[in-house]
Amino acid sequence: MMIRQCLAIMQRELFYMWRDKSLRTILLVGPLLGLLLMAGVYSSQRIENISTAIVDLDKSSASSQVITDLKNSQNLQVVAHFDTFSQLEESIKRGEVIVGVVIPENYGKDIALQRQTKVAVLIDGMNIIYATNASSAVLTVTRTLGAQVGIQTLIAKGIQPNQAQEAYQSIAFPEEAWFNPTANYAYFLVLAFALNVWQQCCTLASCMTIIGENGRRSWYQIRTSGISLFKLFFCKSLVHIGILLLTVLPVYFLAFVVFKLPLACGWSSFLLFTLIFILALHGLGTMMSSLSPNAVNASRYGMIIALPSFLLSGFTWPLQAMPQWLQHVVWILPQTWFFQGVSFLTFKNPGWGFMSHYFWALGLMAVLFYSVAALRLMVRDFPHKG
Amino acid sequence: MIDVKQILNIAHYEIMRIFRERVLLAILFIVPLLYASMFGLVYVSAILQHVPLGIVDLDHSQESRAVVSAFENTPNFKVITQVSTYADLEAGMKNGLVRAGVVIPADYSQKLAQHQLTQISTVYDGSNLIYGFNTRKYFQQVLNTFSAEHTAAYLSGLGMTKQEIVNVMDTVSYSLEVWYNPTFSYATFIYMGLVLMILQQIGLLGIGLTVTREKEENSWLQFLGAAVPQWKIFIGKALPYFIANFFNFGFLMWIAARFVNVKIEGSVGLILLLGLLFDLIIVSVGFTVSVYSPNSLLVTRYLMLISVPIFVASGYSWPSTHIPAVINTLLRTMPYTWMAEGFRLLTVKNLGFDFIADKIMVLILMAAATTFFALTFPKRRKPPAQIGLAVNSALDYPNKNF
Amino acid sequence: MEPVIRVTNLEQKIGRKLLFKGISFEVQPGECFGIFGTRGAGKTSLVHILAGIDRFKSGQVQILGLNVNKTEKFKRSLGLVTQESSLFRDMTVVENLDFIAALKKASRAAVREMIERFQLQEFLSKPVTSLDIGVLQRVSLACALLNQPKLLLLDEMIKDIDLFSRNLILKELEEFLAAGGTCVSTFSNFAVSQSFSKVAWLEGGEMTIYDPEAAQAEWNRQENYYAEQSGRYDD
Repeated sequence: MMIRQCLAIMQRELFYMWRDKSLRTILLVGPLLGLLLMAGVYSSQRIENISTAIVDLDKSSASSQVITDLKNSQNLQVVAHFDTFSQLEESIKRGEVIVGVVIPENYGKDIALQRQTKVAVLIDGMNIIYATNASSAVLTVTRTLGAQVGIQTLIAKGIQPNQAQEAYQSIAFPEEAWFNPTANYAYFLVLAFALNVWQQCCTLASCMTIIGENGRRSWYQIRTSGISLFKLFFCKSLVHIGILLLTVLPVYFLAFVVFKLPLACGWSSFLLFTLIFILALHGLGTMMSSLSPNAVNASRYGMIIALPSFLLSGFTWPLQAMPQWLQHVVWILPQTWFFQGVSFLTFKNPGWGFMSHYFWALGLMAVLFYSVAALRLMVRDFPHKG
Repeated sequence: MIDVKQILNIAHYEIMRIFRERVLLAILFIVPLLYASMFGLVYVSAILQHVPLGIVDLDHSQESRAVVSAFENTPNFKVITQVSTYADLEAGMKNGLVRAGVVIPADYSQKLAQHQLTQISTVYDGSNLIYGFNTRKYFQQVLNTFSAEHTAAYLSGLGMTKQEIVNVMDTVSYSLEVWYNPTFSYATFIYMGLVLMILQQIGLLGIGLTVTREKEENSWLQFLGAAVPQWKIFIGKALPYFIANFFNFGFLMWIAARFVNVKIEGSVGLILLLGLLFDLIIVSVGFTVSVYSPNSLLVTRYLMLISVPIFVASGYSWPSTHIPAVINTLLRTMPYTWMAEGFRLLTVKNLGFDFIADKIMVLILMAAATTFFALTFPKRRKPPAQIGLAVNSALDYPNKNF
Repeated sequence: MEPVIRVTNLEQKIGRKLLFKGISFEVQPGECFGIFGTRGAGKTSLVHILAGIDRFKSGQVQILGLNVNKTEKFKRSLGLVTQESSLFRDMTVVENLDFIAALKKASRAAVREMIERFQLQEFLSKPVTSLDIGVLQRVSLACALLNQPKLLLLDEMIKDIDLFSRNLILKELEEFLAAGGTCVSTFSNFAVSQSFSKVAWLEGGEMTIYDPEAAQAEWNRQENYYAEQSGRYDD
């Protein structure tokens, strides 16, 4: 008998969600569209071919060497040669080139005569992603170039070639990117941004849990039937959570199977982690749902938290760069635990000892949010008399 | 003669409604301030420093100490002393204790003494590329300096004088100038882009419910049934939101410049022009959406979801040169793309009118189009009907007060 | 004289349902035209079309000689009382009067006059949501009369309201008609059918126009017919 009641509630909830056309569209289409869009945006994966322009005021073989080295550099792409500095300046202003190299007059002569000369490198700092990548590329090139010229100079001064080489190149500086060896921006951001869109869609769905019932006249039917409110909302929530989990599965399929984004921890851990987050997020939405007089406000409250949560989670701009007190405060949001956890799980798989805190925290949050919602329902049991 | 009085009456009562709906008031004024403050706090440090670094010195020689000092002496890194072995480094990188590592091999000083090639390995956490690329840059800076010092010491060892060494090493010097944002301030880079998105969202969500609310209360019929022309209805209803948005635009910019140390330069006139155009587009789009949407819940749901996709795909952070053309074209239909880029060119690059003229032209065209639609909406509605079993999609949504 | 309302071959579709299958009628100046129909027959839809609020599928509607699809001018001479209250819920009575007067370009003096005539002095600062239905209807009618309309469209004006308000409203309507105004009113309770000069019966998408006595006769006939059909009468 009880099972039959529960099944009836769950079936009705499925119909209810399906017939809420905009919610249905948002849940079915939103997260997938989000993932596809993000995958498209970051499809180039790395900042390469940074447009570079050269102003060669010397036009000697020495300056050609510089140009060749720049052309051979992995990330820079020489796209223009200008005759004057002001042309270069104009081009940088317009955003046509990001890096500019100015080789002064008499460059070759000065080197031969061991007179000091200076090569100016300019970088458009407006876009930091560009600028950071560009300056890394430039620093690599200048070190190489500096070594070359230095070695030549030493040899010209009579130092033994092998000693000249040793002076500059006895120490190599290999670098490795761990967890994301190719420093792939798509690996870093695509899944996270897609999950950001997904959690916002989930928030909108979760905010309907209670108000979607006691904001309709059919609430009278429910109240007079004598059914336990706990059973009612428990069954509704089961359906919601199941649906929310279903909406993320195609996202994960596309992400890990098709786009081959990193998943260091394996499917079962990741799905379990997602599930516990869904519980916490659904709890949060349900709590908002119980505190609002109508569905519009419930959605607003839920989204006011969901919208900034990704930036506050420290997934991109790291937590350690935020003020100390803020670093602690942001942990009250379930999204912080989730996105931090996603980063650790997909890239690093730090093990249960480390991740258990995340599961506990999210679980506790779920309990807390649901409790507040339950309390609120009990206190204001009857529909608002308007 | 335009009858301004009617417009002002409509505006007056719209303002009254705003003040009487406390959640709306909070959304219009408190939420932007709240978000701007939160994001401001997130980015106020602006530059990523004190990257936790684990140094694995397997050599423990004077030479390796020199390497360690090089990293200890820069504020860009913070050496985490708990990490001393390679296993420590692996564990530390895995649990986030350190985000970067330096490994000095055990035969470092030995190889140096034997005039053999040796290396200093650096590792950085690629799971967060903001950490990653900044760390890489800092590594290169430290290592360039260290490398230079090492070369100088070597040459000194060969018997060259200080002056000679300087002459050799500085034969070619490379000056690296970063324009517009020389300190690599993330606040200057990203903050105003976030603020403009906040303004767009709040703007849309504010005016987005102005007509749907009336429709739900049935009072929209008063507007439709009276002879008052639609352009007056639009201007009257949009005016308070237009002013509120513009106030927020100025206020948040002031917060950005004053508290978050965001670089905002450039012509005040052009900044205001951009703000006005963006504001006009937002209120007219929001109003039109409100006229055509069946209820407030739909407006709220859809409008809230558009912010992240537009921000990410707009080319503001990830540059549009590295985004596929089809997405770029799609995003160019969004006013935000033009506004954010134009604003940044103006305030960070401090460029003049010539450089942003195209952005301004597009915004003017967009404003003209969107305002046209808002001014000429039809005053005959399609009679609302419940189609089949659809819920929350006609004139009602769950509300305890209905 | 030119009819105040002339409807020709009006067709209307709501959702997927065809509501009017091409109805035509005229309302002469000074008439009190009643529209009868059970719930869902389309009375409110018809009133909304006449008021120039809803689009309709096909046909022609002229109010005061003006085509409702081509202009807004006729609305200056129109007053509408809707079935579902269309007053502004977050405003008080006086704020509603004031704002609707502004929308209709009626004067402050007109507002004061309405307050007098409908005896709304004690309710001015009350929110409309707190009013009894009788007072609410008085306010609604007052708002409709602010611009001294030539045509009043009333949708279920007289409901289950208190007798004092009912009396006041009826008195105002009589004065309105006596001054030459035209009134179109929907009703679903046949008891009031005798107060109209003509009764239009909306059923199954068609409209049949009766004199009040003929309408009453038809009502009686149908009542008996269905009672016999269902076996309620024992004869």
